[in-house]
Amino acid sequence: MKRAIILLLALVIVAAVAGVRLRGSAEAEPVFSSRILMGTVVEITAFGADRRATTEAVRAAFDEMARIEALMGPGEESETVRISRASDFSEVSPETAEVLSLGLEVSERSHGAFDLTLGLLKDLWGIESGSPRIPSDEEILKALEGTGPQALSLEGTTVVKKSPGLGVDLGGIAKGYAVDKAAEVLLNAGIESAAINAGGDMRLLGARPDRLWRIGIQDPRKADAILGTLELQDIAVVTSGDYERAFEHDGVRYHHLFDPRTGHPARNARSVTVIAPSAVLADALATALFVLGPEEGLALLAHYPEAEALVVGGDGEMHLTEGLKRKAIWP
Amino acid sequence: MALRDLLSRTTLLDRVIVLVLFAAALAGAAWAAVAPGGERLVAESGGKIVFTAPLGADLTFTLPGPLGETVVALRGGVARILDSPCTHKVCIGMGGVSRAGEITACVPNRLLLRVEGGRGQEAEYDLLTR
Amino acid sequence: MTSSPVDPLILERSRRRIFLALFTALAVALHTLEALLPSPAPWFRFGFANIFTVTALFLYGAGAAWGVMLGRVAVGSLVLGNLFSPGFLLSLSGGVFATALMTISRALFGVRIGPVGVSVLGAAGHATGQIFVAWLVLVRHDGLWRLFPFFLLVSLVTGVLNGWGADALTGMLRRHRAFSERLRKDEG
Repeated sequence: MKRAIILLLALVIVAAVAGVRLRGSAEAEPVFSSRILMGTVVEITAFGADRRATTEAVRAAFDEMARIEALMGPGEESETVRISRASDFSEVSPETAEVLSLGLEVSERSHGAFDLTLGLLKDLWGIESGSPRIPSDEEILKALEGTGPQALSLEGTTVVKKSPGLGVDLGGIAKGYAVDKAAEVLLNAGIESAAINAGGDMRLLGARPDRLWRIGIQDPRKADAILGTLELQDIAVVTSGDYERAFEHDGVRYHHLFDPRTGHPARNARSVTVIAPSAVLADALATALFVLGPEEGLALLAHYPEAEALVVGGDGEMHLTEGLKRKAIWP
Repeated sequence: MALRDLLSRTTLLDRVIVLVLFAAALAGAAWAAVAPGGERLVAESGGKIVFTAPLGADLTFTLPGPLGETVVALRGGVARILDSPCTHKVCIGMGGVSRAGEITACVPNRLLLRVEGGRGQEAEYDLLTR
Repeated sequence: MTSSPVDPLILERSRRRIFLALFTALAVALHTLEALLPSPAPWFRFGFANIFTVTALFLYGAGAAWGVMLGRVAVGSLVLGNLFSPGFLLSLSGGVFATALMTISRALFGVRIGPVGVSVLGAAGHATGQIFVAWLVLVRHDGLWRLFPFFLLVSLVTGVLNGWGADALTGMLRRHRAFSERLRKDEG
């Protein structure tokens, strides 16, 4: 009798140990979670061995994005608002400095097509506010005064404005940066397969356990259609389109991507999709290429051999880099 | 042997209880197998599910958010936001959601609508860049 | 054992305390062991710990059953480190539903209901309580109720097994000197 009990106990212990190991290695369903952050819906899909740890990591990734949003978003306490209000110098966090430094680099290389200093112009059009309107030419000229790649400079973590009234807007690229930081949190938690999608700004970690990630590219003119799909891994994908935030007046669409040369919404492209190692770079390049249009835009990519792009021109024609052709599947 | 031992340890009422619960569980299982499963509309606010309904339902409902109440209509398998107390009304223009995985949201009012479930039809893509 | 003249009532109380402490300790051990065991599904549990709640109910009454259950959930979740987590909440709600059903049925039916019937009702109550609270606070998803019949079926099987175990344990303990003495006194 006693022996039987000891044998049974031993079996139970062996089974428990085996069970714990089995559970750890089981093929996991992904953890999927969404939150409203950075003015959009952020979705995270993460594959991890341990569900509880993965869920915890996804939550930490969201928290990190919320931190970046507080730092660079439109909130009253944010550093971008502080820079816009300052008359000359302002001290910023290393994170904001990193985003500014990359933004200024793309700004310079794109000869100002990507511009961080369009804060006043954006406020003037009010496309992201409740009451958008078409401003007069004088108003636009005034809002463009002193803007451009030279209007802002960065020394360490000190931002220097050339003219006091300049409004700084990190809008788009701060979102990309937040996505990158969230990806960093997941990586540090040991997650090797995940996707972070902030309203179309996405970063992919690894591939799915079974295959590469398939990313559909929105058709800029048909809401329910896609242009094609990309098969990707370990990369960031960002699309800028004229259909995202826009208003219509007398049959003309006015959207949120401005050409700094004219102060009006850019007309050279309908949408631009960029893939690059980081979402912040893809974000900046997508905006720059949108403003530049297909020819000049793709030429800019010569500076960024690690990036690829698809540009749908103002006429609806598709232009894409060689590298992207190999990754794309057309319907 | 074991069974006889078990039976000897039960009272009549014990056996009745087991049989009744067994019948109830079987009936429930049969119902669950027959009842339409499929897709559901799920509404989230601040990461928590606040409302859910079968996608086939026909109803209009309001969901509270920090700005006020957002009105959602579910009709003919499509859910759309009819009205929301936000300045932008982007959500209203976003159109409806009807397929599993589709999301619509009123970002300022912190509300998220998602279609869940539906049996494993492989989508063309995992995520959409737009 | 040295025997000294002790008030039989005090002796009986101490015995009761010792046995209930023992039951709770064993229930905690089983509760913890089960959390470590491989499980065919994440929600599947044998609920062996309930054997001790049933035994306590039959030997010492409703109050004892509540004590063993609450003690097991509290100490068990301390051991597992999930105090006040969703897992703890589910254990507690399942335990409360189960014990409520068990004590009420025992009070209603008295000797007509045996450990097997009580244990099956407890297991069903446990499943109901868990799923209800999960639906209430964790996932407001009606799809959860579709799982209920399967939970119920599983709980029936485990309930019968546990009831059988509780009956065997109760019988064994009743034959033990500590109890037979008491029984003799009761009779006498």
